[in-house]
Amino acid sequence: MKVDRRSFLSFVIGGAAGTALSPLPWKLMDDSSIWSQMWPWTPVPPDGEVVYEDSTCTLCPGGCGISVRKVDSRAVKIEGQSGHPVNDGSICILGLSGLQMLYGPTRIKSPMKRIGERGEGKWQKISWDEAFAILTEKLTDIRDKGEAHTVAALAGSDSGTVPALIQRFMAAYGSPNFMRSPSYRDVDELTVKALFGADGRTGFDVENADYVLSFGSGFVDGWGSPVRMFKAASLWKEKDIPVVQVEPRLSNSAAKATRWIPINPGTEADLALGIAAVMVANGIADTGDVSGLSGWENDLLANYEPQKVAQTTGIDAAVIVEVAKGFARADRPLALCGRGKAQTAVSLRETAAVYILNALTGNINQEGGMWAIPEADYIQWPDVATDNLASAGLDQPRLDGAGTGKYTDARYLTNRLADSVNGGGPYPLQVLLVAGANPCHYLPDTQHVKAAFARIPFIVSFSSFQDETAAMADLLMPDHVYLERYEDVPVGAGLVQQMIGLSKPVVSPQFNTRHLGEVLIMTAKAMGGSIADAFPWDDYETCLEETLAEKWDTLMETGVWVRADTDPVAGSIQLAGLDAPAVQAEGDVNSFPLLLVPYDSIQLTSGYMGEAPFMIKAVSDTVIQGTDGFIEINPLTASGVGLGEGDRATLTTPRGEALVRVHLFEGIQPGVLAMVRGLGHTAYDGYLAGKGVNVNELIGPVEDPSTGFDAAWGIRAKLDKA
Amino acid sequence: MSTLDEKAKAGMEDHAAHGSDAKESGAGGFIILFFIIGFAASMVLGWVIFPKLLYSQKQQPLNFNHALHVEEVGEGCEGCHYFREDGSFSGIPKLAQCTECHEEPMGDTEDEATFVEQYVAKEREVPWLSYSRQPDCVFFSHSAHVIGAKMDCVVCHGHIGESEVSRPYEYNRITGYSRDIWGKDIAGLKKNSWDRMKMDDCAQCHKEAGMIHTSSVQTDRDACFVCHK
Amino acid sequence: MKQAQTHGTPMKYGMAIDLDKCTGCGACMVACMAENNIPFKEDESDKRVSITWMRIFKLTNGKSFPDSDICYLPRPCQHCEGHEGHSPCVSVCPATATDYSRETGIVSQIVTRCFGCRYCMGACPYHARYFNWWDPVWPDGMEKYLSPDVSPRMRGVVEKCSFCFHRYQLAKNKAYLDGERRVPEAAYQTACTQACPAGAIVFGDLNNPEHQVHQIVKPDSNNGNRSRNPKAFRLLERTGTNTKVYYLSSREWVRRAGDNYLAHEKTGQLAKLHH
Repeated sequence: MKVDRRSFLSFVIGGAAGTALSPLPWKLMDDSSIWSQMWPWTPVPPDGEVVYEDSTCTLCPGGCGISVRKVDSRAVKIEGQSGHPVNDGSICILGLSGLQMLYGPTRIKSPMKRIGERGEGKWQKISWDEAFAILTEKLTDIRDKGEAHTVAALAGSDSGTVPALIQRFMAAYGSPNFMRSPSYRDVDELTVKALFGADGRTGFDVENADYVLSFGSGFVDGWGSPVRMFKAASLWKEKDIPVVQVEPRLSNSAAKATRWIPINPGTEADLALGIAAVMVANGIADTGDVSGLSGWENDLLANYEPQKVAQTTGIDAAVIVEVAKGFARADRPLALCGRGKAQTAVSLRETAAVYILNALTGNINQEGGMWAIPEADYIQWPDVATDNLASAGLDQPRLDGAGTGKYTDARYLTNRLADSVNGGGPYPLQVLLVAGANPCHYLPDTQHVKAAFARIPFIVSFSSFQDETAAMADLLMPDHVYLERYEDVPVGAGLVQQMIGLSKPVVSPQFNTRHLGEVLIMTAKAMGGSIADAFPWDDYETCLEETLAEKWDTLMETGVWVRADTDPVAGSIQLAGLDAPAVQAEGDVNSFPLLLVPYDSIQLTSGYMGEAPFMIKAVSDTVIQGTDGFIEINPLTASGVGLGEGDRATLTTPRGEALVRVHLFEGIQPGVLAMVRGLGHTAYDGYLAGKGVNVNELIGPVEDPSTGFDAAWGIRAKLDKA
Repeated sequence: MSTLDEKAKAGMEDHAAHGSDAKESGAGGFIILFFIIGFAASMVLGWVIFPKLLYSQKQQPLNFNHALHVEEVGEGCEGCHYFREDGSFSGIPKLAQCTECHEEPMGDTEDEATFVEQYVAKEREVPWLSYSRQPDCVFFSHSAHVIGAKMDCVVCHGHIGESEVSRPYEYNRITGYSRDIWGKDIAGLKKNSWDRMKMDDCAQCHKEAGMIHTSSVQTDRDACFVCHK
Repeated sequence: MKQAQTHGTPMKYGMAIDLDKCTGCGACMVACMAENNIPFKEDESDKRVSITWMRIFKLTNGKSFPDSDICYLPRPCQHCEGHEGHSPCVSVCPATATDYSRETGIVSQIVTRCFGCRYCMGACPYHARYFNWWDPVWPDGMEKYLSPDVSPRMRGVVEKCSFCFHRYQLAKNKAYLDGERRVPEAAYQTACTQACPAGAIVFGDLNNPEHQVHQIVKPDSNNGNRSRNPKAFRLLERTGTNTKVYYLSSREWVRRAGDNYLAHEKTGQLAKLHH
């Protein structure tokens, strides 16, 4: 038998016929088409039982209630908690992005110590025991040498039990140097004290106001408790309430206002006083709540008559009079203060002027008016019994000078920390503990701050994330994120009542992290003596439950505790702060003909939290393109420098220089440049790092002489074609 | 017959004679033989070997006796497979549900001991393999079928409730789908309604039940966004 | 069982977005991304290839400082009804991957069916459709938050807003359990509607007079479903796309931005629409 060509062909044909009559080709075709429709590497999220767990968001000071949707043990979505007194079911862009932070790769996954050069990013994973050993040894050494005061702590806030534990630790250890991140709260507290003569904060009854005059407050850009403010802004629309927004740029808040009045940057206080002058001059001011007016009236009328104010502010005198009359004649007028998100202080002169304006409506502590209320005062721990070492340390002056000399009233002057470390302080700083703060990104003149950090011998970061400040640290002791821990969340943020939210763990800790409260208690216990005695609690949860006492059950049940009948600190004000000088922009007009002002966007956190990928994705391509950051400029100003849309330019200020691109915007005053806050990260990962320019590197602090706080609202600048 | 016809006929005979001369006797048989060999080999490949290669088998982590549970737990399938308050279907029970009875070993089988030691004691979920898992793009509403249409579990799941041992889980190596939904019979023939649960099978059943809607503009049948996600 | 054409009267899900309230904050965009497993890349600044089912556009009135004005316009898929369900994308899809449901009025996109020819993208006047140029990649660990309710997409297919159809499916599940025929208004709301802190988005059945969206829009079925609300307009209404997303604005320049008008034409004074 010979297998020739014909036989072979016959075999092949037979094979083909057989194959065609078998399921092989048809099944393969079907299967491979299905395979190509759903590649095996496309993730298939596992299904399971859906449950919702309520908690409180701590990503900003707003205090919103959140409802976390879980599928079995995974958190899959964060939604607003229905019926919550702050946000009733709604939520902001940051709150929605929380899970990208929880599960994101920029978490610090375990304690680590630095093994490379500082800032080089070389770390060695260590155990918690080793981390505690390093920290306690360092702290004990310093204290034993009688230098306890050379240890400082910087926290994101000073309210709630966790910051209180830090403060307590510092007190028991013997250092006066506890600081919190700067914000509008600094100047608010001081102004309330100056005008009302008591400790407290302001609250704004935005829901019931019937005329709103906002001095650059970004009521839909993140001012106050953001979701509450968004809701109020919609309420104003529904009720057809006049809303006047005064600021140099057509911000989103200005666009939502019924009237936008552009103003020369930094002259808001003059306008407020000008309006007050019109009200007093026309007898439409209600002076019942204000004492000390007679001594001031002549000055006010002489220095702030409409024509003069028009010169300073660039607003028509007729407009000033019109707004003053509209404001004064409304039933429940309300003036808001604090630029943008109110993440930075403004001058005392400006705050005082706006608060006095509110007082002149006779609407203090009234429906729809401005309130002055005390902070919820529920942390009642016994005083710390200090030993000799601690007492000696606490007798030392603070590094930042707060509470002494010309800064008697200021509690924290964190803006002066860098200067102090860079040589201006009373003694060298040896150890800095940083929690819930990222000063190496958001403090003004960031390069100067980083240089100061490079000089600090030992930095401990409790950050949950690989942020700019953690990058400068020597020891990382990562905290849980808010979705993994208990924490009380006292809400200020312009609310007219006292409120405390409770953050609860909705998922188990994802990494080898520890609650900061727990870490502090354990460190104190390890150090023994009077320090350990100051921390009698077994763990943080016990401490929290005991501290909240009768509020604990309410908080566990509803997630929020509200005190409806909060007594105001005082009902009337004593005029003060008006002779304070205005804060000018740094730089001289000849070398720097333009003005650079930072602006806030709700799409960027510009605070401790880095922006999640979802948030960056929502940012417009007129703000970031690739890694380029944009500045907004009026087309008139741009053509003067020979720049068109998208062109590259060099932006120079007395503090620094950056390559930017320009976005032509008719909503900005000629001669003014605007840059968004929050970009230009150097830490985190490729989803955030390197995008845009950090405006804080271009602007330095300008000290308000009456408070010591940084009250810079901008800086002089020049722009050259690149 | 015309001259032309004769010529043609002669030509044909001539051609035939030439052909038989050139070939050894029996060559035609070989050709057929080779055809048959090729045909048979490919049939064996397609019908016997291919299915074995296409489907891979996995054993369930534990042997599960459905019949025994139906008897002991009562309430039929709903005793363990129930609807949650939100209308979703619980599917394969979670460990916590098993632990309600199986805190301690019940009975003395080896599987029971393993279950209690390896899973209950360690609070580890049992990695059951679901015979009826639909692909990720499919949304199947148990409540529409079981509560709405009052269908019996058997229609789609067969008599699994009567099984005493867990049969191996077979899955398609290319698509990753379970053989139960992707077609038990390689030829695509269905003996029972539960032999396959592809889209066509859904459609067929809906048609038989008179439940075809005309909501789709594209097809004048059921719209895609009913069962897909 | 008797054949039922549809489950009762057909629904027509739609939206009314109040542009006077919208602040452009982007919460709707991110709520959508989180709800629908939308992927992201390191660089999302090229908006042509940045997948955002919901996208906010910034409109300007074109005037110079200080008369300039801006308005934000959130753009989900407009779920065009066109003429009898022949929306622009549905009409051109060669794969039956996109479809119009007469029962819900939702334009569906079945990604496993799509073979990526992108005809629909060319046909869509609203740029509401997005092509997956890359396989989605979630940074290490982040795949943990993916929702099982929406199937993650793969490279080579088109995707778009579904009006959170999976929420309708889940609401239906519950309705069956409760023995109800219809999904109540509150039980089916899109993720963007739910999140919007300004309360600018209202979602519901345009056919149901009890639904808030119907009361706001007051659609005129004798006039191509145009709204009877003088503040309302639809995008490119005169092309006959017959969309189900209505916008509300008290500002004439904003309403004008919704379509192409000749200099002498005013909004709200148009001839009747015909199909």
